[in-house]
Amino acid sequence: MLYQVKKLVKKFGKISVLKNINLEIEENEKIVIIGPSGSGKSTLLRCLNMLEKPTSGCVYYHGKVLNDKLYKSIQGKIGMVFQNYQLFDNLTVIDNLTLAPVLNKLMSKGEAINKARKYLRQIHLEDKETCYPSDLSGGQKQRVAIIRSLMVNPEVILFDEPTSALDPEMIGEVLSLIMEVSREKITMIVVTHELNFAQEFATRVIFMDNGKIVEEGTKEQMFKHPKTNRLQRFLNNIQ
Amino acid sequence: MSDLWDSFYQTFIFENRYLYFLEGIKFTLIISFFSIVLGLLLGIAVSIIRDYYKQTGKLFLLSKLCDIYVYVIRGTPTLLQLMILYYVVFKTSTLSPIIVGILTFGINSGAYVAEIFRAGYDGIDKGQREAAKTLGLDYLKTMVHIIFPQSLAKIFPALGNEIITLVKETSIAGYVGIIELIKAADIISSRTYDYFFPLIVAALVYLFLTFILSKVMKFGERKLNHVISS
Repeated sequence: MLYQVKKLVKKFGKISVLKNINLEIEENEKIVIIGPSGSGKSTLLRCLNMLEKPTSGCVYYHGKVLNDKLYKSIQGKIGMVFQNYQLFDNLTVIDNLTLAPVLNKLMSKGEAINKARKYLRQIHLEDKETCYPSDLSGGQKQRVAIIRSLMVNPEVILFDEPTSALDPEMIGEVLSLIMEVSREKITMIVVTHELNFAQEFATRVIFMDNGKIVEEGTKEQMFKHPKTNRLQRFLNNIQ
Repeated sequence: MSDLWDSFYQTFIFENRYLYFLEGIKFTLIISFFSIVLGLLLGIAVSIIRDYYKQTGKLFLLSKLCDIYVYVIRGTPTLLQLMILYYVVFKTSTLSPIIVGILTFGINSGAYVAEIFRAGYDGIDKGQREAAKTLGLDYLKTMVHIIFPQSLAKIFPALGNEIITLVKETSIAGYVGIIELIKAADIISSRTYDYFFPLIVAALVYLFLTFILSKVMKFGERKLNHVISS
């Protein structure tokens, strides 16, 4: 078991964003979290890598309580891809890719550069190596951000609406890269509004509304035979 | 015309008075240079301590001390700080007035530099820190490689302002007997009872110094520019 979330509550001030979430995630699962805006999807994701601290309840990672100390010791095993890319603006593409693995001594500078170049070829951006993020399109930035998360050999990658900030014509290139990555033995948890992608990608779909997990199941169950009214309504509204 | 020449002669040439100016320029440069360096080092250290506390909740006491330092320095006149350091703190020591001057202006500038850098750190999208964290980078690595360089690019114009202000502010060092530029001008005009050349020349020297500084800062700004463009 990779993740175990028990009675997770997260409040911002008086507002409860997550209300008693219970969830188990096995290694190598490909999970998609869907739900309306403000339902707590992103907050749940951010509780899985300590970007938010639970108000109460607990997140277990490999059976151990995920706290600052544990998070520090696993150094980058929980990767994340952000809605607005968050490439480091002051570094070139290659430096964005090699900074963390080299500083944390996962590999030598030379090994890191070789690995980065291999990934850059895979996403057809080998000629952008010395460009700064400001020279890239949104889709290119997000693809670089995805391979950057791979550089530190993560066990999990969390995707927080990876295509929401993109021009429509760039969404495809990012989603197909995520599909490619999903062939690796990496657990992936994706918050997205792209239901077609979810149907192709997910081994499990979680539907959240109003801070709770309303329904979860395989993609067939969720998209073809939704049990709850709330999910039926959600699917009708966006199709 | 001969009046002007006479005035010029009295100011600079008679009794080799130009040497006072050279002396003044020398000490203005020395004090400015070392207090800029001290101010930058101190300011950057203070800004990082306060930011570290803000991000991690650690170093509470040290961070509060830094707050007090910035508050006190910003809340009192530089001249007063100079006089307190010279007449009170180092009253019995044999420390050279030059050193006291450097300490005063460096400590003074440090507080402003710290505030400038704070504004820089706070202006960086917090997602940059989050991205670094998810890649396994700790506070110091994130600061050194991501937050600081990005901030530096953004605050460079403000930093240039502070440095120019500091150079001009060294003109009060004459109060504790340092012969810097203004003091030199003052000494000469008190001999000749003629203020025209001494003051104009002092002004021109300051203008020249700040001109060079602003050129240097502009150059640095351009070098860092690609960082801001995103």
